[in-house]
Amino acid sequence: MSVPSRSGDPKVVFEGVSKVFDKKGEPLQVLQDVDLTVAEGEFVCLLGPSGCGKSTLLNIAGGFERPTDGRVSIDGEEVTGPNPKRVFVFQEYGIFPWASVWDNVVLGVRDRSKEDRHRIVDEVIELVGLKGFERAYPMELSGGMKQRVEVARALAVSPDVIYMDEPFGALDSLTRLTLRSELLRIWNERNPTILFVTHDVDEAMQLAERVVVFSARPGRIADIVEVDMPHPRDIGSPEYGRVKNRLYELLGVTHMI
Amino acid sequence: MTFAVATLVVSVAVLLAAGRLPKGAQNWVLPIAVAAILVAMWDAACVLTGTEVFPSPLDTVLAFGELIESQRLWGDATASLFRVTWGFLLATGVGVPLGLVVGWSTRTFRALNPIIQGLRPISPIAWIPIAILWFGIGDGAGVFLIFLSSFFPITVGTMAAVRNISLVHQRSAMNFGVQGLELFRRVVLPAALPQIITSLRIALGVAWLVIVAAEMVGMETGLGYLINDARNAGSRYDLVVATMILIGLIGILLDFLIRRLERFDEVRWGYSQR
Ligand SMILES: Nc1ncnc2c1ncn2[C@@H]1O[C@H](COP(=O)(O)OP(=O)(O)O)[C@@H](O)[C@H]1O
Ligand SMILES: [Mg+2]
Repeated sequence: MSVPSRSGDPKVVFEGVSKVFDKKGEPLQVLQDVDLTVAEGEFVCLLGPSGCGKSTLLNIAGGFERPTDGRVSIDGEEVTGPNPKRVFVFQEYGIFPWASVWDNVVLGVRDRSKEDRHRIVDEVIELVGLKGFERAYPMELSGGMKQRVEVARALAVSPDVIYMDEPFGALDSLTRLTLRSELLRIWNERNPTILFVTHDVDEAMQLAERVVVFSARPGRIADIVEVDMPHPRDIGSPEYGRVKNRLYELLGVTHMI
Repeated sequence: MTFAVATLVVSVAVLLAAGRLPKGAQNWVLPIAVAAILVAMWDAACVLTGTEVFPSPLDTVLAFGELIESQRLWGDATASLFRVTWGFLLATGVGVPLGLVVGWSTRTFRALNPIIQGLRPISPIAWIPIAILWFGIGDGAGVFLIFLSSFFPITVGTMAAVRNISLVHQRSAMNFGVQGLELFRRVVLPAALPQIITSLRIALGVAWLVIVAAEMVGMETGLGYLINDARNAGSRYDLVVATMILIGLIGILLDFLIRRLERFDEVRWGYSQR
C-alpha cells in the first residue's frame, strides 16, 4: 500500500519497514511492512496505541535504529545514521540539564562563526518565546519552557525534517494547546517536514495534514486519514467531528461515553 | 560536678523550648544543646568514676592548649593533610579520566572492570607493608596509601556515572554530530559530573579515615602517629582525646569544602531532582 504524497515532492519514504526486537531471546515483531511517503513540507502525525511501535518507527527514520527489513530514505538517500539536518525532539527532555538555555540551543550551530551563532540563536530563542531566559538552566524552567528550548535547539540548524516523539506528552493540557499552536505558527513560517508521533486523537486532529493510524502490535498502517481543514481549525465543526469519529473507529475504541 | 549538672539542666531546658525558635536558629541550637548534654554526661562520668587515666572535658581543653603551644599539632596536622591532599589529587587525576574511558567504552569496561572490582575490596591498610617497602616510612608511603584508598571509589563512581548517562542525551549528542573528544567535553563529563563529585566526596571521607590508621601503624608523623605517641609516652589520654576531636573537626571541614563543588550551576541539576 504505497500512498501517494499529498503535495510537494516525496521527502521521507518508508519502504517495507519491519522491525523485530530480541526480547530476552524471544523475537518481538514491533513493526510490520510499513510503507509511507511523506511529502516535502508536510505535517504528518503518526497515531496509535501505546506500544504499537511509533517511537521505533521514528527512531528508524532518525537513524538511531536500523530496520530489520526494508528501508527509509530521505531525498532518495537511504538513512544509515543520525544527521544534523534532521532533528529529533524527544519524548523525555533531550536538552542538557548542565548547560544554560543559550548553550543548549547553540549545540547544532557550534561550529559556525561567532556572528552566525549569535544571530541564529537569538533568532530561534525569540521565535519560541524564550527571550530573556538565555542564561537560565533547564531546572529553573517549567516543563513547557524546557520543550520550547528543545524546539529552539532543533530549529537552530534549520532542519529540513523534524521528528517529534510525543513532545508535549508530559505537559498540562493548557500548555500543550499553546505549544501546538506555536508549533503550527513555526511550521508555517519555516515549513519543515514534520513527523509527529502522538497517541492523542485531538492532538493529531489539531496538527496534522494527514494522520497515519497504526494498529496495535505488530504496528501496521491501519489507514491514512486526511484532515483537509485550513488552520485555525474549528473543533466544533461537523467535518472535525466526522474525521475524529473515523480516527476513533480505526483505533477500535468507542468515542461515545 | 555542679558544672555538669547545671549544663545538663540548661541544655535540656533549651531542647524542650527549641520548638518555639525559628527553623534557622533550631539548626544551630539543637545540635549545640545535644553536644552540651553529651559533654556534661562525660564530665559527670569522670567525676563519678573517679578515673585517674581518662581525661575530663576540661583536661582535654587544656591538652589542646598544650598541643598548640608545643607546636606539634600544626606539624602533625599538616603532615596528615599533605598526604591526603596529594594522594587524593593524584587519585582524582588518574581515576576520573580512567573512569570516563572505562565507563564509556564497553570493551574497555569488559576488560578492566573485573580487575578493578577484584582489587577494590582489599583494605588500603593491608597495603601498608608494601607501601613502606616501596616508599619507605614517610610521606611517599602515605600519599601512596591515600591514592589507593581514593582511587577505587573515584574510578568506580565515575564509571557508574558514565554508564548511567541517559539514552536521550547520548542520542541528542549523536543527532548534532558531537563525537570524539568533544563528546567527552560536552556530554560525557558534564553528564557524569554530579555523580563524580559524590564519589570524590566519598573518597575524601575514606582518605581521612585511612590516613589516621596508616599513621598509627606505619609512620612517624601525622595525627595518627600523634595519638599513638601520646599513649606510648606516659598514657597521655588527654592528648589522645584532644587529637581525636581535632581529627573529627578537620574531617567536617574537608567535607564542607568538597560539598561546595555541588553548588555550581553545571551540576546542581544532579542533586535537586529525583
Ligand atoms: N530496544 C528495544 N528492545 C526490545 N524491545 C523494544 C525496544 N524498544 C522498544 N521495544 C518494544 O517495542 C514495542 C514498541 O515500542 P515503541 O516503539 O516505544 O512504542 P510506542 O512509541 O508506540 O509506544 C514495545 O513493546 C517495546 O517494549
Ligand atoms: Mg513512544
